[in-house]
Parts: sequence; C-alpha cells; structure tokens
Amino acid sequence: MTLRYIPAVLLGRAVRVAARLRKPGAGSAVPGLVVNRVAPGFLSCVLASFPDGLVVVTGSSGKSTTTKMLVALLEAHGRRVFTNPSTANISQGLSSALLERVTLGGRIDADMAVLEMDEAHGALIAPQLSPRLVLLTNVMTDQIDRFFDSEKVVAFLAKIAGRVTQTVVTNGDDAMLEELAATLPAAIRVERFGVSSTVLAGSPRGLGYSRTTSSRLADGTRVVAAEGRTATIEIGDAALTLNLPAKGVHYAVDAASALAAASSLLGADFDPELAAATIGTLAPVFARGEISTVRGVEVEFVLVQNPASFQLNVDALDERLDQVLVAMGSDVRDPAYFWPVDTRRIGRARFISGSKAAEIALQLAYQGVVVDVVEPDIPTAIDAFLALPAPSSGLKTIIFTADSMRRTRAHLGMNS
Amino acid sequence: MSAILQFFPERLDVNGDAQNALVLAQRARWAGIEVGLVAIAPGDRVPRERPAAVVIGSSVDAELGALRADLANFAVALSEWVAAGVPLLAVGTGFELLSDGIQFGTLDEPGELLEGVGIFPGRALPLAVRATDDLVVDVREGRLVGFENHARRFLVPADAPAFGSVVRGTGNDTRSEGSRVGSAIGTHLHGPVLAKNPVLADALLTAAFGEAYRADSPEAARVDGFAAAARSAILAKLELRG
Repeated sequence: MTLRYIPAVLLGRAVRVAARLRKPGAGSAVPGLVVNRVAPGFLSCVLASFPDGLVVVTGSSGKSTTTKMLVALLEAHGRRVFTNPSTANISQGLSSALLERVTLGGRIDADMAVLEMDEAHGALIAPQLSPRLVLLTNVMTDQIDRFFDSEKVVAFLAKIAGRVTQTVVTNGDDAMLEELAATLPAAIRVERFGVSSTVLAGSPRGLGYSRTTSSRLADGTRVVAAEGRTATIEIGDAALTLNLPAKGVHYAVDAASALAAASSLLGADFDPELAAATIGTLAPVFARGEISTVRGVEVEFVLVQNPASFQLNVDALDERLDQVLVAMGSDVRDPAYFWPVDTRRIGRARFISGSKAAEIALQLAYQGVVVDVVEPDIPTAIDAFLALPAPSSGLKTIIFTADSMRRTRAHLGMNS
Repeated sequence: MSAILQFFPERLDVNGDAQNALVLAQRARWAGIEVGLVAIAPGDRVPRERPAAVVIGSSVDAELGALRADLANFAVALSEWVAAGVPLLAVGTGFELLSDGIQFGTLDEPGELLEGVGIFPGRALPLAVRATDDLVVDVREGRLVGFENHARRFLVPADAPAFGSVVRGTGNDTRSEGSRVGSAIGTHLHGPVLAKNPVLADALLTAAFGEAYRADSPEAARVDGFAAAARSAILAKLELRG
C-alpha cells in the first residue's frame, strides 16, 4: 500500500479527536465522512488488504448477531479478525471504524475482515468491494422507515452478492434469496442454512421472511431443534447442541448461518465441538435479548428493528410479564409498519415512551394490551419504570426501537 | 352476530391496513355491539350473510395479479354489498384493485394493465416519483391525518366523486384524494387510518349499525386521546391545524 492515504488518515483522526472533545463518546460517523470525501479510495483499498480476505454479512435482520457469532468462531480458531461495531454498518461508520485501527500506511493488522453491512449502503459501496464470502441472512418485508418493497431489498443484496469471488452462504428457507442464488455465476459456491420442518412447524407464524420456500433443506447447515435457549444444529456429519445467546428460533438460525460461514472459511481447520462451545459463551449483542443489571435491577432489553423482528421478539417474551416498557422513537417515520404485529402477548405495558409514544400506544390499545402510562420523555419514563417495585413475575422488560435504545443507553450511561 | 370482514389479511396487510377491521370491531364491542372479526382467505366461500363492514388492505406490486384473481370470486358480492350500503374501506393497492384498473410500469415505460374489480371509477397510473410522506386530507367527516406510500396516482373521471381534497401530500394528484362511491371509500391513507382518525371510524360504524352505535364508550375516549396526540404531533410538524 502506498503513502497516499496518510493525509486522509491523519485528517480523519484529527476529526475524530475533535468530535470526541466536543461530545464525549459520540461523533463516530463524522471522521469517516471526512475521509470518504477527501480520499474516496480509502475504504476499498483498506478492505482489499486483508490476507485472508473480506467477508460481508448482510440481509434484513440478524446481521449483528450473525456477525458477532462468525467473528467469535473465527477468533476461536486462531484467526485475527477485524470487524465493525454494529452501529457502524453504513459507509461513513465503516470508514470511521477502519480509522480506529488502520496504520498510516493504510493497513490493518488482522488476517481477515468480517463486516456487517446495511443492505442499501452496502449496495452503494459494493462496486468498491471484492468479498471472498457473502452471507445473506434473510429478506423481510418492509424495513421500518425506509419504504422498500422486499423486491428492492433483494436488488440491493444481489448487488452485494454480485461482487463475491468465492462463496455465498444463504438462507435456504428464504424463497427470495433462493431466486437470487439461482442467478449467481456457476463458479460461485453456494452454501445453505435453514431449519427442519419440525422447527418450522413449531413457529406458527413462520420465520418472518417475505416468502418462505415450499420445502425444507435436505442438506446444508440445519437447525433441527430449537427450544428456549438451546438448539441442535446439523453441520456436515456433526449434530451440535449449543446454547444460544438469547431465546428464539431466529437466534438458532443466526447460529446456523455463522457456523456454515465459519466452516466454509476455515475448511479442514473447522472444529465443530469448539464452534458449539464458542457460540455457547457469547453474550447477546446489546439489546437483542440482553439481560443487564441497571441500578441494581435486572432488566431485559429487546430491540425491534422491523415488524418481523418485533413479532419474533414479542412471541419470545414470557407470558404474563408484570412490567414492560415499550418505547418508539423518531427513527420510525411511519408507525403503520408496526400495525401488522400481534402484540397481545405483551399483556400490559406499564409505560409507553419515545417521541412516537402515542402511535404505539394506539396500536397496543387496539390489540387489547393494557396501557398504563404514556410518557414520551424517555428519561422520565425509564426512571419511573426502574423505580417500580420488583415485578411479580418475569423480568422488567424494555422493548424499544433503535432511536429509543440510544436515548435509553445515554440516559443510563451504558456503553457498547 | 354481525361480521366485520377483513379481506386476505395474510397478504393484504403490508402497512397494517387490514387492522382497520380490528379498529372497527373493537370500537363496536366497546359500544356494546357484538361483532365478529372475520378474516376471508382466498378460495373461501362468499359469506351468505351481508357483513356489517368490509376492509381491504394493501400488498406489494408483485402480488397484485394473483390477488386480483383471488378477488374475482368476490367481485359480485362486493358490488352488491356496496349497493346495499355496507361500508367498505379499501386502502392503497387494495383501493387500486377495486378500481377500473392498474397501469404498472413507469411513466416512460408503461407495463402491464391489470383490470380491477370496478367498484371505484378511475385508474391507477404510474407516478414520476413514488409518493412517500405524511398525507393530510379534508373529507366530509373532517380533517384526516395519515401516511401515504404509493407508486401510482389515481385518475378519477370528471363525473365521479373523490374521497376528499389534499391539504398536504400527494393523494390522487396533489389536489383530490381517493374515491367515494356510496358507502365505499378508497384511499391512499395507509395503515391504521381509522385508529388515527376516529371520526371516520365512527362514521363507518354509524353507517353499519345506525343509532345502536354510540361513539362515547370510555375505552374509545382513552384511545382517541392517543390518536389526538399522534395527530397533533404530525399536524404541528406540518404547521397545520387539526
């Protein structure tokens, strides 16, 4: 690599320092924005420099958990991996994340990069990338706030997958991804993951994909059992029973996809027992079913990113939870997206918060959920919710959208 | 027990539009009227009894051809119910399916023409740019607030009534919005239009149940408070009045 990115790297770092001085803990996208502007080739140049190549994880849902699992699997097998924090899955954030680790010569000291990529932004920077492996999680209808038909999401994913040099690991239960896989050149290996018919039958609402294939996979990496936080996954000749970071079939599918990708990347080095043990030790990605102790109280945080993940997460809640707070923020441009979700299982919401509190209160009330207090101000609602006496059943549970999550984290002084 | 029909909610609920049937059913129950929320699936037999109200929601373009075929069996009944004064709400592409037809493709490259059920006079034609924004409409019942997200405008024939006039947004053509034929309403206001605009929900329920429907239940008052807050937030952002 040449010296030509030295000025850009230095400038980006200076901007980062300045941004942090101004607002501690913030300003993560700005340095990347600056570098992308002054040195448009920076991103592709750094991403092409990993000796064992670049892996891209993309799709509607499950990207963060899958990326985290895959990185852990590769690291457990001795690979040094560069990855981006899930909050930096668009190009500015990506460049910022690279800046954190890059040498002045424009290299990062790692064997391999595993990047979580937003579909739309990923498609935008796809022409600059040559990933060795692309992992496609799923296609779910209607991402909150972005107004894409699922067809449009597939077009983005096709653009990213179109850049792959070796292998596509894809969801064999997702009919739209199967159609995409059929268009890949014959030289590209396609590896599949999915669930067995028993597991699908155990999910009466399906798995949330825009369209599900009519038959289950006969081979590939398959979830053959999923109950609570335990799953059994068949990969090659092995049947691995492992603990998931949180309960829900979708986490088992995330694990299957990460195992399939790790096995493909590691080849003969892949150790199934080590892999199962590694997944079992993972903490959930923040707010994807994470239980934290806040002010001495155990709280379960549940992030909902789109209607499908909202439904899956609500279905995975314990029944008759005593204390639930639901917060919806300005990231949800059009709250109509949440109306197809059957939220009855929430039962009773002690607090509704966020700038779109009235909108989600309306949805919950018509579904028959008891709505106690609507308090749009998140700090006020969170304080009052945490101050409630210990719940009579289950944990205090906070269900929120991304914007409300950020505000909650900021208010509680939580990092990561 | 009266039935509130929801057409193909598995497939016509992209924006939760089918849930407008739930809104009608809940408000009727809160007013002490026994109603059943009945989901109609493709291939079901046409209900023998006339329903109290009918809701048809939205789908994505790729599904519309198949949905039109599945609706064929119900076309006569739908027309008869509307002729008999049954309130019908059709939203988004559901509205388009019940019109004279849908012109797919773009302005430059017109695609296939799909013939509609023909309840609402007029056709859906490609827009230059997808309309995705808040939509505020004045109709007979009052000012309606909601959201639109559609790729086509709607051309209403000169002699046919629109549902209302556009205050903010695109609607049919930035001037008129939707279509109203007797007791049938077609609109681009997608998602929970009846929840956010209880005045329209109550008009449909009064059309369905007459004086037996009373809009003053305490449950309705509580949710209408949420609706008022949601509406005010949108109207304030648009610098409009309620």
